[in-house]
Amino acid sequence: MSHEKNFQKEQFTLTMIPGGFAKKMRTCVLFQAFRFAVINIKMLVVVSKSH
Amino acid sequence: MARVVIMGGGVSGHTAATFAKKWLGNDHEVIVVTPNSNWNWIPSNIWVGVGQMTKEEVVFPLAPVYEKAGIDFKQAKAVSIHPDGNADSDTPYITIESTKEGSAGETEEVTYDYLINATGPKLNFDATPGLGNGEGQMGSHTVSVCTADHAVHANEELHKIFDKAKAGERQKILVGTGHGMCTCQGAAFEYIFNIEHEATAAGVRDMIDIKWISNESFMGDFGMGGLHMKVGGYVVSSKLFAESLFSERNVPWLIGAHVSKVEEGKAHYELLDGTTGVEEFDFAMLIPPFAGVGIKAYAKDGSDMTDKIFAPNAFMKVDADYTAKPYEEWKAADWPRTYQNPDYKNMFACGIAFAPPHLISKPMKSVNGTPINPTPPRTGMPSGIIGKAVAHSVCDMIKDPSAKPHEASMAEMGAACVASAGKGLTTGTAAAMTVYPVVPDFETYPGTGRDTDYTFGEIGLAGHWIKHILHHLFIYKAKLKPGWTLIPE
Repeated sequence: MSHEKNFQKEQFTLTMIPGGFAKKMRTCVLFQAFRFAVINIKMLVVVSKSH
Repeated sequence: MARVVIMGGGVSGHTAATFAKKWLGNDHEVIVVTPNSNWNWIPSNIWVGVGQMTKEEVVFPLAPVYEKAGIDFKQAKAVSIHPDGNADSDTPYITIESTKEGSAGETEEVTYDYLINATGPKLNFDATPGLGNGEGQMGSHTVSVCTADHAVHANEELHKIFDKAKAGERQKILVGTGHGMCTCQGAAFEYIFNIEHEATAAGVRDMIDIKWISNESFMGDFGMGGLHMKVGGYVVSSKLFAESLFSERNVPWLIGAHVSKVEEGKAHYELLDGTTGVEEFDFAMLIPPFAGVGIKAYAKDGSDMTDKIFAPNAFMKVDADYTAKPYEEWKAADWPRTYQNPDYKNMFACGIAFAPPHLISKPMKSVNGTPINPTPPRTGMPSGIIGKAVAHSVCDMIKDPSAKPHEASMAEMGAACVASAGKGLTTGTAAAMTVYPVVPDFETYPGTGRDTDYTFGEIGLAGHWIKHILHHLFIYKAKLKPGWTLIPE
């Protein structure tokens, strides 16, 4: 489990840490291309609602 | 022929000026008064601050763009407003002082029919002893990324730190806010991730301790009282999101902190619980607090009426509800809709220049009575949208003085923030966040105050690509290249 962190530091024990799968998806070009489309559509909706 | 004068040529002022000229054509005059000769896409200063971009990639000269558009450009700073004219004339005017090489210091009166105040902020370094040099400029103990020149300097200093780390000398980097009343945490947030990314890429991360210091009462406040976003079927607080980002990068944080004094290698601070401390550093980027630029206003008889036009923080009063009331009674309706000055209907303020009615974050004070809370962000997307709405109002009023001003409330407006690190298409990383609306509206969205379908955050390459596209798109738009009006603010 190389992605797991050492939670000994008190400040770090109360939050969430990404697992291996979540980290892999961040740089998976195919998945990110899909997310790129989704985020752009959402941002365009926000822009249109803002004008 | 009507004359529209715009004070300021940043995101908001430039948007207002270019749309005003497009809508008014050559029948009316548009004048921009700004002390800077260059336009700067400020969000990309972060990349200049770590050496991923040059200054030339984030700025361009305004004069040729305005010449092409038919906008009169005066490189000068606005000094005073005379909305009723003077003893000799009823025509309103402003006084300006040239900042152009060769004529610097020369003053001039510029009359107007409509005035748009888009001066942006004064970077109030001197509010914190040692953060400024005592003469209104940045001091020598810390760096900043607020201007392109500051960012160039920050990059030079940062790489000295990297060189020392490479030579085996352990280094400490401190990034965050330099005062208890700062805004723009997002810029510091993005900068610290870029530093961490570059230190890792340079192979010196294990020799550098990086720490976050902020006036936010909780991580992820961002001056907006935090936000909630949908993640994995839950509505998650930005606190969890921000803490996770910092934890993953081994960056500890100090929050609820008012930096009270800066010395060489030391930042003195006071926390919300009243305790004080000192954070040592080898390199620090601390954002200064913002204030209005300090324009004076004078009545027809020459008497000072600055406090009638401007709020105590020197931002211009507009159609907001400035009645003092407790946090529990704050409403979305307190926020301005038209940005028209209540006393002078031909005067507007947009972008950072308008006085917000109150904070968005919950007001906090240390037990010693020191206010420690972020002030409301009014940069980027809201700045552009407000600038365009104000220009629209002015153009309509020129054509029909009884026209109703256009509206653009920050309680009905979204904003996007993308904190991106690295430059490669597949090697970068980003945290992308969108919030709608910027000012929470608990009457329309009783749960979190915001529409959780359009308030979201995620981490990955997609946000990184978006950030790069936005950089090129907005510079293209600001240069008024073909189709510029099709690109939204």
